[in-house]
Amino acid sequence: MVRYASFLGCQIPMRIPSIEIASKKVFEKIGLEAVDLLGYSCCPEPVISRLLDKTAWLAVSARNLALAEELGLDLMTLCNGCYETLVETNEVLKHEPEELHKINEVLKRYGKEYAGKVKVKHAVEVLYEDIGVDKIKQHVVKPQRIRVALHYGCHMYREPEGGDINRKPNMMKELTRVTGVEIVDYGIERLCCGYPSMQADEEFSLKQRLLLKLRRIKEAGVDAVVLSCPACQIQFEIGQIMLKQYGVQYRIPCINLMELMAISFGVPSKDLHLEFHKGPVVQLAQKMEAM
Amino acid sequence: MTISENEIIAYLKQELGEDLIEASRPRQRRVFVRLKLKALRKVVNAMKRQYQTLRFMTISVVDHGLDFEFLYHFHVDGAVVTLRTEKRKEDNTLESIVDVIPAANFIEREIAELFGIKLVNHPKPQYLILTKDWPDDKRPLRRPLEGELPKQARPVAEALISTSCVAPISAFMQKKREEAGLSKTPPFAFTDEKAMQEFHGIMKDTSLAKKAGFDWKKKRLRHK
Repeated sequence: MVRYASFLGCQIPMRIPSIEIASKKVFEKIGLEAVDLLGYSCCPEPVISRLLDKTAWLAVSARNLALAEELGLDLMTLCNGCYETLVETNEVLKHEPEELHKINEVLKRYGKEYAGKVKVKHAVEVLYEDIGVDKIKQHVVKPQRIRVALHYGCHMYREPEGGDINRKPNMMKELTRVTGVEIVDYGIERLCCGYPSMQADEEFSLKQRLLLKLRRIKEAGVDAVVLSCPACQIQFEIGQIMLKQYGVQYRIPCINLMELMAISFGVPSKDLHLEFHKGPVVQLAQKMEAM
Repeated sequence: MTISENEIIAYLKQELGEDLIEASRPRQRRVFVRLKLKALRKVVNAMKRQYQTLRFMTISVVDHGLDFEFLYHFHVDGAVVTLRTEKRKEDNTLESIVDVIPAANFIEREIAELFGIKLVNHPKPQYLILTKDWPDDKRPLRRPLEGELPKQARPVAEALISTSCVAPISAFMQKKREEAGLSKTPPFAFTDEKAMQEFHGIMKDTSLAKKAGFDWKKKRLRHK
């Protein structure tokens, strides 16, 4: 069985636990053991903490990596933001011995140390590389005949210098296609949803980022948006509600890849508790089940 | 014989003991000493005792948003020695050194006026530059009580530093998680005392909490 330490992050368990539930169902079916990372903290989030104090950003992240190292496991995360922080800090800690030494000086005061042995992967990479599309396909008992737009999320494009930035988005596309859905291109997949800029300029974030995407997605005539990032998910769902103050009405369901996969595996949607969503995902699931 | 920079640093280290934060000599005849505010008068007295040629130059103030930085510049035998110390802006007072250094009289009054700081133990705490009816809340050199974070980012930073999580869980969400068959909370640091001590230790050992303006006693940011 494939085993990983599971890094849930903040947003999934605290805001949209249906993604946590769905991932457990999916992992169980495909034979992937996600081991709880006891005592973990925020990755920490890749915008504010990195800009305010790089040392704190590295040290908090190194503590999380050290927890996985203590378990002797590599780390898997479902969140794009956590992925960015953990991968980038891991790169620094693995390749810059002076930084590693400096960070370990901090960690040692609290009985922790990171040796740089952990590999960090997004769940999309784990499913694609460790499990495989063909094996996942075997579990699809209810192919979904809906049209979807994909929003990969900016951090999904992060790759080491010289790497193919479309590597993980292409994996996500293939994994989404396995569920039976028709993927409709809308041309601005790479545009940010606006989540990070919400912390600086709400109107810009909603009108110059999210709204542009929603318009093109609506024009594409899809039934739903499929995402892999909980922060983008929150931006898409809450953002549609907030846009009403600007006289703009959208009600596009936004479903996480794990939830879509679980439904295509035959998990009843009521077991996923999709009511945690702020958009019409329960209705989308009912429509999918009625097809 | 000229007093060397290293001799000055050695003397101030000896006088300040644990109240010294750091001392440096960035170039010839220039000395910076960062010290705890409580030791300022003590070290000024010590310098006056030690150096017969001591000359007070001026005091500079920098408003960093959340804190004031006070820089006391002295001339010691051809070297410029700056004593640097910081104070939280919420305190908003400056203890006078005029009884030790009479020449500080005017600059302390100027600081008080332009930054809106209340002087303590000053012999003549009256306006020097501004008109008597100048509004208290509009001081020419005073910035608002704000740190480096934009307003919208402050709740996220406060949640991260205080709880180890940027999305603190509500009692309602804990109940909903249980109803959905999940554990009440995920195995986050805030559920484990030892893990939380580790996390807060890292926060205190690095400068993120300070830059964000986190008050460890009140467990919240100093500004909203």
